[in-house]
Amino acid sequence: MALLEVNDLRVGYRIFEGTLNVLNGVRLSIDEGERVGLVGETGCGKTTTVKTILRVLPVPPAQVQGGEILYRGEDVLRMSARAARDLRRREVTAIFQDPLQALNPMFTVGTQLRDILKESRAGQDGGRLRRREIEKRCIAALQETGMPDPERIMTNYPSQLSGGMRQRICIAEALSREARLLLADEPTTNLDVTIQDQILRKLDELVDEKGTSVLMITHSMGVVRDLTQRLYIMYAGAMVETGKTKELLAQPRHPYTQGLMKSVPRLTGEGISDGIPGRIPNYLEPPSGCRFHPRCEHVMPVCKEAIPSFYPVDEDHFAACYLYRS
Amino acid sequence: MRQERKADFLATLAQRRRTLAKGWYKYSRNPLSVLGLVLLVLIGLAAGLAPHITPYPAQAGAYTDFKNAGRPPSGEHLFGTDRIGRDVFTRVIFGYRFSLLLGIVVLGLGVAPGVVLGLLAGYHRGTWIESVIMRVTDVFLAVPPLVLALAITAMLTPNLLNEMFAIALLWWPWYCRLVFAVSSSMRSQFFVREAELSGASEGHILFKEMLPNCLAPILTKMTLDMGIVILLGASLSFIGLGAQPPTPCLGTMVADGAKRLPGEWWSTIFPALAIVIVILAFNLVGDGLRDVFAVEEV
Amino acid sequence: MAKYIGLRLVQSVFVLFGLSILIFFIARVVPGDPARAMLGYLATQDQLQAVRVEMHLDKSFPVQYYYWLRDLFHGNLGRSAYTKRPVVTDLVQYVPATLELILFATLISLVIGQAMGILAGYFRNSWFDGVSRLVSYLGIATPSFVIAILLLFFFSQILHLAPSVGRIPIMTQAPPIRTGFMVIDSLLAGQFSTALVALSHLVLPAFSLAMIHIAQEGRITRSSIVENLGKDYITMHRVHGIRTSRLVFKYLLRPSIIPTVTVIGLDFAFLMSNAFLVELVFMWPGFARYALTTMLNKDLNAMVAVVLVIGLTFAVVNLLVDIVITFLDPTIRIQRRGG
Repeated sequence: MALLEVNDLRVGYRIFEGTLNVLNGVRLSIDEGERVGLVGETGCGKTTTVKTILRVLPVPPAQVQGGEILYRGEDVLRMSARAARDLRRREVTAIFQDPLQALNPMFTVGTQLRDILKESRAGQDGGRLRRREIEKRCIAALQETGMPDPERIMTNYPSQLSGGMRQRICIAEALSREARLLLADEPTTNLDVTIQDQILRKLDELVDEKGTSVLMITHSMGVVRDLTQRLYIMYAGAMVETGKTKELLAQPRHPYTQGLMKSVPRLTGEGISDGIPGRIPNYLEPPSGCRFHPRCEHVMPVCKEAIPSFYPVDEDHFAACYLYRS
Repeated sequence: MRQERKADFLATLAQRRRTLAKGWYKYSRNPLSVLGLVLLVLIGLAAGLAPHITPYPAQAGAYTDFKNAGRPPSGEHLFGTDRIGRDVFTRVIFGYRFSLLLGIVVLGLGVAPGVVLGLLAGYHRGTWIESVIMRVTDVFLAVPPLVLALAITAMLTPNLLNEMFAIALLWWPWYCRLVFAVSSSMRSQFFVREAELSGASEGHILFKEMLPNCLAPILTKMTLDMGIVILLGASLSFIGLGAQPPTPCLGTMVADGAKRLPGEWWSTIFPALAIVIVILAFNLVGDGLRDVFAVEEV
Repeated sequence: MAKYIGLRLVQSVFVLFGLSILIFFIARVVPGDPARAMLGYLATQDQLQAVRVEMHLDKSFPVQYYYWLRDLFHGNLGRSAYTKRPVVTDLVQYVPATLELILFATLISLVIGQAMGILAGYFRNSWFDGVSRLVSYLGIATPSFVIAILLLFFFSQILHLAPSVGRIPIMTQAPPIRTGFMVIDSLLAGQFSTALVALSHLVLPAFSLAMIHIAQEGRITRSSIVENLGKDYITMHRVHGIRTSRLVFKYLLRPSIIPTVTVIGLDFAFLMSNAFLVELVFMWPGFARYALTTMLNKDLNAMVAVVLVIGLTFAVVNLLVDIVITFLDPTIRIQRRGG
C-alpha cells in the first residue's frame, strides 16, 4: 500500500466573481521511502495540493469538491479535525517557500521549536516529553541542519536571522518530529542562489538518514534531477505526466513537458527558446477537457471534451494526453 | 495650441469621471455605506429646507404654549411637545441645522490651516520649521479636545459663535499631524526630487505634487470628523456652554429633557436618537470612503 | 531603551510647559474679572484691589507667568476662587475619585472589548460578528452622556436596581481615606459591604464611559485578528500541529492586541474628557466635575491646574503605552536598538 495516495482531488476557491476551480482531478502517490518530485509553474495548484493534504486549507473560501487523500489507507479528508491534527503532529510535515513569513516574528525560535515538540507527543507510548528532553531535541534538530551555535539561535527572534538560517530553522521544525512524510513546497526558491545548493544538500542528507518520504515541489528541473526518483509534471490543477525522473526528463512525452524542457536554457548550443505560447488558464472559466488544449500544437477535437486519463507511454511512464490513447 | 489644450482638458475630465465612477462602484458595494449616504442626504435636505418642511417652524425659536406643554407623541406633534409647549419634531430638525452648521464651519476654518502647516512641516522635515510647527501641534494635542474646547468656551461668553470658534481653533492640529505624516514620507520620494530639480517653486511642489496624495486621508478624516465635531458640540451644549436657549440645540434638548425622565421621555429620547443617527451616518460614510481609498489586496 | 525613555520625558516636559503658557495666556486674555470671581458681588473696591495685587493681576503677563511658575515649584497652585481652598487640596480630594472611575472603565473596555473583538474576528461573518458590528457602530455613534442618561433611566427608574448617584449611598459610612479609591479603602478597612456598594455605584458610570471604547477597540482587535489569521506563520503553526487553544491565545493574540494597545493612550484622553459628562450625569464627586465647575466659574488658578493635570496624565499614559508595546512586540525593540 502506498504511503500517500491522492485520487481525483478537486478543490475550488469561492471568490466574489465566482469559483476558482483550481484543482481539477489531482492524482499522485508516494511509497514508503520514496522521493517524488512535483514540477509545475507558479499558479498550477501545487501549494493548494499540499495544503489540502495537510488539511490546513482555509475552508470558508476554499472548498473540497471531490476526491480522496489516503494516508496509509485512511482518508484524510474525512477524518475528524483531531485526527487530522494528530496526523500533522506525528506523520506528515511540511516546509514552505517563504521562511520569513513562516516564522512568527514575535516569539523566539526556541519558544516556537519547544512548543512544536511539546505538542508532538513523541515521548514513550505517545506521552508528553519532559522539558529536558525537549530542550535536547531542539538543540539536536538545529544542529542537524548545520546551524552553528544552536543555543544562541534558540534565544533569537526570526527577524535577527538571515534567510538561509531561517529556512534551516523551518527544516529543523519540520524534521524534529521524526515524521514519515515531508512535503517540501519550493523550499529554496526564495533563498540566495549561493545558499540554495547548501540547503538542498543538507535536506537531502537528512531525509536519507531518517528514511523520510519526500514530495519535493519545485519549478526547477535541476533540483528534481538530483534529488528525486519519480516525478510528476503538473499543469493548471492536474497531473499531465509522471514517471521515473531520469526517463521522463530524457524523453518527455506530454506536449507541455516538452515545451517546459525546451524553455530551459542550455549551455550547449540551441540558444534560448521562446517558451510556450499562450498563458495559464483563468481558473474562473477554465478550458474544457484538457486544460492545456488552447496552447497545444497537437490539439484534437477530443481534447476539448473531457480530461484525459493517464495513458502508458513506456514502462512506468504515463502521460495524460490523447496522443497516446491507443 | 488652443486645440491641444482643449483636448488635454477634455481628456482629464473624462479620466476624472472614470475615477469617480469606479469609486462610486466600489463604494456602493457596501450596503452600510450607501445607507449612511442616504441618511446624510435626508438629514441635509431636512436641515436645509427646515422652515418649509416642519409643521411648526415658529416653535423653533422663542415660543411658549403652556397649555400644550408635555404632550406625548401624537398625530399633531410627531415627537410630542417639550416642557414649555414647543413641538419637539420641529426643534429636532432645526437642531440638525445648527449641528451641521457647526461641523461645516469648524472644518472649514480648521482644516485648511492644518493642512498647509502639515505640508510645510513635512517638506521642511528636519529643519527648525518642522520643529516649531510640530511642537506647537504637540502642545495643542496634549489635552483632549473636549477639555480645551470647554476651557476656551467657558471663558468666553457661551454662544454658538464662540463655540464654533473655540472648536475650530483646536481642530487644525489634527490635520497638521495627519498631513505631516503623509508628506514627510513623500518628501524623499522621486517625484518630489524631480520637481525640485526641474526648478519648481515650493508652492507648486506643496500643492500640486504633495497635496493630491494627501487628499484621500484628508477627505476620510473630514467625513469622520463631522461626526466627532457634532458630538463635541452636543456635549458642550449638554453642559450648557453651547448655543443658548431658545436656540434649538440637540445637546441642550437632551439635557433639558433628562430632568423630566422617565415621565416625558420623548423630549430627551428623540433628540438623543437624532444625535446618534447623524453621527452614525457620518461614520458609515467615512468608513465607506476609507474602504474605497484602501488599496485592494488580491 | 533608557535613553529613549529619557528623551520622551524631556519632550513631555517641554510640551507641558508650552501647554501651561497656552492656558495661562488664554486665561489672562479673556474678559471677566478674576478678582470679582474670587470675592463675589459684595466685595468692596479695596478688597478687590487687595486680591488683585495678591494675584499679581496688576503686573504684566510674563511677570504673572513667572510668579505662577515659581509657586508651582513650591507645590503651590494657588487658591481656588470657587472652593476657597488651595487648589492642591482640591486636587488631592477629587483626583482619586475620577481615577477610580477611569481605571475601572479602562478595565471594562479592555476585557469586554478584547473578548468581543477576538470572538468576532475568529468567527468572522458569523452571527456573533454581525451583532458585534452593530453594537460597535452604535457604540461609536452614541455620545457618552446619552448612554449615561439611558443607563441611569433604565437601571434605576425602571428596574430599580442600581443606585443612581454618588460614590456610596448617603447613609453609608465612608472608610478612612488611604488611597482615595473607595473600593480599595473599604476593603482595607474591612468594610466589605461598603466595598461592594461602592463597586455597584461604579458600574454604571464606568460602563457609560467604557462603551465607546468597547466599540472601537473591539473593531480594531477584530480586524487585527482577521488580518493575522491570514498570515503564513499561523498556517505553519497549524501544520506543526499546535493545538487551537495555544494557537489562539498565544500565537494569534499577541500581534493582534498591539494595535489596541497603541490606541489606548489616545483612548485614555477621551476617557478623561468624557468623564466630564458622565460625572455630571451621575453627580460623581470627581476631578472632572470639579474641573467643569471651575471653568464655568472662570476660576483661573484651578483651571490652569486642571488642564496641566490632564496634560500630565495624558503624557504619562502615552509613555507607559509605548513601554508596554516595546515589551509586547520584539520587532520594535530590535528596530530601536538599530539592529
